[in-house]
Amino acid sequence: MKAASRRPVGGEGGREEDRELLRRYHEHGDTDARQQLIERHLPLVRSLARRYAGRGEALEDIEQVGAIGLIKAIDRFELARDVSLATYATPNVVGEIKRHFRDKGWAIRVPRALQELNASMSGAIERLTVRMSRSPSIAEIADELKTTPEQVLEALEVGSAYTTVSLSGAPTGDDTVDPLETIGAEDEGFQRSEDRAALAPALRRLPAREREILRMRFEEGLPQTQIAQRVGLSQMHVSRLIRKSLAEMREQLS
Amino acid sequence: MRAERIQLEAPLAPDFQPVVRLIIGGIAERVDFGFEEIDDLQLAVERLLAEAGRAGTVSMTFDVGEGRVRTRVGPLSERSIAVALQEDSPPGELTLRRILQTVVDSFGVEEAADGRIVVRLEKLRGPG
Repeated sequence: MKAASRRPVGGEGGREEDRELLRRYHEHGDTDARQQLIERHLPLVRSLARRYAGRGEALEDIEQVGAIGLIKAIDRFELARDVSLATYATPNVVGEIKRHFRDKGWAIRVPRALQELNASMSGAIERLTVRMSRSPSIAEIADELKTTPEQVLEALEVGSAYTTVSLSGAPTGDDTVDPLETIGAEDEGFQRSEDRAALAPALRRLPAREREILRMRFEEGLPQTQIAQRVGLSQMHVSRLIRKSLAEMREQLS
Repeated sequence: MRAERIQLEAPLAPDFQPVVRLIIGGIAERVDFGFEEIDDLQLAVERLLAEAGRAGTVSMTFDVGEGRVRTRVGPLSERSIAVALQEDSPPGELTLRRILQTVVDSFGVEEAADGRIVVRLEKLRGPG
């Protein structure tokens, strides 16, 4: 290991050394510089990984997952960015760890029967909506699927919870920065400002399809069933996209 | 059906949002709401709670009657919610007010003790 990799990464000096290593790696393909960057920032990964210890995963495994996020951050870092590597890498590391927990959590926590019920729910809702020309009740969905209303509600929530976790816990694209996970933001309370209920600026950052769904729902006032027909998705999917989009916009404002 | 009241105090922490949604689903199911109506009410409460912060707890009261659920959320110390709900939404902007206008049949804000507010939401069962 070279001297640079043993020096602390904090402070202006550490940041400058990082930038030099990043420049060597990105402009000259110096993989040794990349390795040094990884080693210099592993303590950051360990520190972040410790926050997720005690959740049924070995700390070592969490650190391994976090290191993947660090490597991605190093590989994607743009030298034009006026931000330190540590700041840039933190949400990537945390996002990777959360994605790991999300993916594993789904398999571990949700009983297979509930997963299957959730999977069959969408089709049942579509069939019933067509058959009855209205949104079916929970009891009707339960009847269609030969189960109980409580099971239907639970299965619906399983699907919702999965989507919610993916919102706040795992970016949908590999290069997306989780807005919840900027340094120092996670444990603080919400800021108090009156513009936080106004979602307009965040609206423009959504993908075109999501913007269009929100426009149809909240400007045209179309029901989910009609939106689903227009965009070629299931009603359940439309419902989740609306919730996800609104939550994402809200998080961007915080 | 007989009018009933359900009271709930829940943490504002996001971890508990699915629990609140599940309970709202169960309540709305009692009055035979359709899937989309349940989803609307869940979304209304969810967006409201998102504006209320993440710390502490929130009280909710659900009055269920024939074909309707009246929900009271609060007292909340986040007075900006009251402002957001009272001002007209600028064209092209998606505000909390516009969201609630879309997903519930009526809503309003009441002054509570200590300058805090309570938000009322009413959702009716559609023609079925």
